[in-house]
Amino acid sequence: MNLLRLSLRTLRREWRLPELRTLAGSLVLAVAALGVVATLSTRVERGVLASAAELIGGDIGVSSPQRLPDDLATRATHDGLKVNRSASFPSVAFAHGRSQLLDVLATDTAYPLRGTLELRDAHGHTQTGHGPAAGNVYLDHRALVALQLQVGDMLQLGGRELHIAAELVRQPDGGQLIALAPRAVMSLTDAEQAGLLGIGSRARHRLLLAGAPAAVHDWRDWAQSTTLPQGAQLITPEQTRQRMRSAFDRASAFLRLTALLSALLAGVAIALAAQQYARRKTSEVALLRALGTPRRRVFGLLIGTLLALAVPALIVGVALALGLAQAAWLFASTLFAGVPTVLPWGPALAAAGIGLAVLAGFALPPLARLAEVSPVAVFRDSVTRRVRRFDGLYLVPVLVALALIWSQSGSARLAGILAISLSGVAVAAALLAWGLLWLARRVAPGAHPALRLGLAALARRRGLSVIQATALGMGLTALLVLAIIAPSMLDGWRSELPSNTPNWFVLNLQTNQRDDFSKALARLGADQLNMLPLAVGKLVAIDGHPIDGLHFNDPRAKDWSDRQLRLSWAGTLPPANRVIAGHWFTPHPAQAEVSVDTMWRDMFALKLGDTLSFDVGEGRLDARVTSFRQVDWSSFRVNFFLLLDPAHASALPHTWLASFHLPRGHATQVATLSRAYPNLSLVDVDDLLDRIHQIVDRVSGAVRWVLAFSLLAGALVLAAALSASAAERRHEAALLRTLGARRGQLRIAAACEFALLGLIAGLTATAGAAGAGWWLGRQVFHIEHYVPPLGSLALSALIAAVVVMLLGLAGTRKVTRTSPMRLLREG
Amino acid sequence: MSGTPRFLLDVRDVSKSVQGPEGRLDILDGVSLQVATGESFAIVGASGSGKTTLLGLLAGLDTPSAGSIRLDGHALENMDEEARADLRRQLVGFVFQSFHLLPALSAEENVMLPLELEGDRLARTRAREALASVGLEARRRHYPAQLSGGEQQRVAIARAFVHGPRVLFADEPTGNLDQRTGHHIIDLLFALNRDHHTTLVLVTHDAQLAERCVRRVELEEGRLRAHSGEADA
Repeated sequence: MNLLRLSLRTLRREWRLPELRTLAGSLVLAVAALGVVATLSTRVERGVLASAAELIGGDIGVSSPQRLPDDLATRATHDGLKVNRSASFPSVAFAHGRSQLLDVLATDTAYPLRGTLELRDAHGHTQTGHGPAAGNVYLDHRALVALQLQVGDMLQLGGRELHIAAELVRQPDGGQLIALAPRAVMSLTDAEQAGLLGIGSRARHRLLLAGAPAAVHDWRDWAQSTTLPQGAQLITPEQTRQRMRSAFDRASAFLRLTALLSALLAGVAIALAAQQYARRKTSEVALLRALGTPRRRVFGLLIGTLLALAVPALIVGVALALGLAQAAWLFASTLFAGVPTVLPWGPALAAAGIGLAVLAGFALPPLARLAEVSPVAVFRDSVTRRVRRFDGLYLVPVLVALALIWSQSGSARLAGILAISLSGVAVAAALLAWGLLWLARRVAPGAHPALRLGLAALARRRGLSVIQATALGMGLTALLVLAIIAPSMLDGWRSELPSNTPNWFVLNLQTNQRDDFSKALARLGADQLNMLPLAVGKLVAIDGHPIDGLHFNDPRAKDWSDRQLRLSWAGTLPPANRVIAGHWFTPHPAQAEVSVDTMWRDMFALKLGDTLSFDVGEGRLDARVTSFRQVDWSSFRVNFFLLLDPAHASALPHTWLASFHLPRGHATQVATLSRAYPNLSLVDVDDLLDRIHQIVDRVSGAVRWVLAFSLLAGALVLAAALSASAAERRHEAALLRTLGARRGQLRIAAACEFALLGLIAGLTATAGAAGAGWWLGRQVFHIEHYVPPLGSLALSALIAAVVVMLLGLAGTRKVTRTSPMRLLREG
Repeated sequence: MSGTPRFLLDVRDVSKSVQGPEGRLDILDGVSLQVATGESFAIVGASGSGKTTLLGLLAGLDTPSAGSIRLDGHALENMDEEARADLRRQLVGFVFQSFHLLPALSAEENVMLPLELEGDRLARTRAREALASVGLEARRRHYPAQLSGGEQQRVAIARAFVHGPRVLFADEPTGNLDQRTGHHIIDLLFALNRDHHTTLVLVTHDAQLAERCVRRVELEEGRLRAHSGEADA
């Protein structure tokens, strides 16, 4: 008979079997959970990307110190992308005898392609707008205050009289988030006609593009394959500043982690159900084999049945995933204003693929071994028992789990930590289960009869008990990581941006201005003042070899060696810095020393003991590398790639870089201060901080949504796994009832059994989740001083043990009611 | 209860019917019988005659639709399932056609089960003695899958006798065994029955086995057709 028809017929006969239902249910849940998570994750990632695109004003761009070749824009237009050209440069504006250095953006009227340009008119009404028409200019509040102008006035910029059409409230930054001076936006035509962009100007030219993701992707590939002008750089959402990137990486790591753990939970449930199915089918397969069915055909029939079950389950899972994702989106979409609203199908379909992989990985081993059942097994059960022992094929689920971890985490470190933590939990749970069972047998003779019966019940299913404890332990670890560790890490992450984070930076402060400036700031109510010396130099040689003659594999090295470098020095290791190799400076080293950030170490392939030579002003400094530092660039403190020892560096010509926190609403006072110290550049990062807070809020809100879904899926998968294992107890219950066991005895026995299982799982999961959390916090998410919330973890483990017990009791409720007549009917 | 009842089992006009898809189905109809203490009693009949249902009722695994069953003086029809379970634990032993040993338990642990239900602290020692009495002490650590059919049934018999039941119910105890092994098992069953002064009620369609019982009844379509053997005690 056709194998497919036979498979379908088998399924029609067997689909009511509890383990097949569990298997199908687990698959539906797995695909739904994975699909919901992946769909929401994709949308959240799009949201984050869109936020980043809003920040740079386009989906992608290129910036260059020279005029950009036309073919970049031509190609983009050809690909159907929208194009915005602009240039930024410093220029001095004049009005009423006053002058002010402005950071000018000259743009066409397509600006901005993404995000919004917020303008305030003369009546104080705020509205969105585009780049100004020729003859017009927008000035920000600081510029208006500094020049004592109002919207509607005229000012002179680049030799042209321009009309102030609006106050600039907020603008996408074109990749430059920190403006050094008050800002102005003018027309590109005006700037070109005024000769502001000619040869010798300090303008940075920019081309920003926006459009369909595929077209953006194509253009990006093309642009990367062509030769860009010297000094030109691609601007991508991913590259917008370190802090953004950090937010982005952490968000996607959380999301990947969530999806991954859901898949593993499903795998555990599927494995238990498949094992159960294989056990039930053993005698049938033995009969088929005895009747002459070849092994291959038996295997084909088993696979066919499984597929016939899996296909509808996958379809239901995908449908459920899309439906739930859409419903969740409707609730959560307020978090993601401006994110594309199209429901992506890809992630749910990919989830179905992963679901199939999980099914294959976790269900095939028992079924493959089942097909090998000897025909002799029709006569002797003992033959069938032998084939279910552990063998190499059972490494398949382990490999599938590892492959999933690898593919889903996208990070070797994340994958490694998770795999090691989960394996540790598995081993610990197994050992603990063995130990407790051993102990149970020792204490059982003196215990209460019902309790002893429960312990005996656990002990007499030693193998299964260990497997269940291990699976539950791993599942609970996953749940605890998701439910406790991830949110607490999010809080840790958020608390890294305290409300008094420095929001102003001051450049070019001279030594003789330090005291007065500090006092002036104190009068304004500023706090968190921090000053660091700043020398500007150039790297000229490594170990005596001129830098120009050296070759480095990292292309960034060339760029950095051409640049002016910012050098600073400090006697003590600054916060957010960690020495990972070598030692921090001794008070009076014989030779100048330098501490190097790890990015620089990798870029220039530096080793401890190398000597770096810098030209600073008229002099030269040779400094030996004595330590490498890991710097948390997301800390919003002033950090340096290169730190020199103060004993040798303090004689270098330098200015000071200051950062401080000033409550909002002090623009007028800051403008006054700026005029009192005309040489200083005051940088306002409040706006940037606002946006980062917003993005962190958005992302953490979304992650919590995703967590809630995973948690639900995880709990359901756990329940399914428990009920699958509970089914085989019925026969035992019938026998015990026949021998005179009371229902209460069976219930207490089941309660003891599941409570002990839950306790083992809870204990190992608490330890596992705490360990994994601590490790993840340090190594992957770089949250300093992260301590997992042990109290919440322990409480959750206790609750989990109770829940496991209740789930177990619920799952065995029917079992305790089994009629003892069942045994007589069975013969 | 006061005094010892005359019959260990006293069945009066018992009927059992169930609701089937095509209406009421009478499985047993007006069955009456008495079994004295220490007696061996066989219920024979063709498949579907109601033997197993009757055995289930006699052992208190189920309740009759009508009539009365007294086991050691206890009216089973008036007891709830929990009370009947208590009674079974104290008075009843079982031997099944399919042995019904728990596969994950060793022979010794299987025999310990009824004692564990009683909370007996000497369960292991007593189980060992019971296994010794069926000649399987050396195999006490073996699991059912490692034992032959005859050995499994001997373990089941040890389990049935271990807690000293007053009555042993056996449902086709040789049904899954070859003739020679079956004979050995029956010999063992009757020997233990004699040594322990246990009442034996067995259901079989094996005429030779039934012949070894002191009394026999035959069921046909739910009714008792004939009594044979020694007169009522």
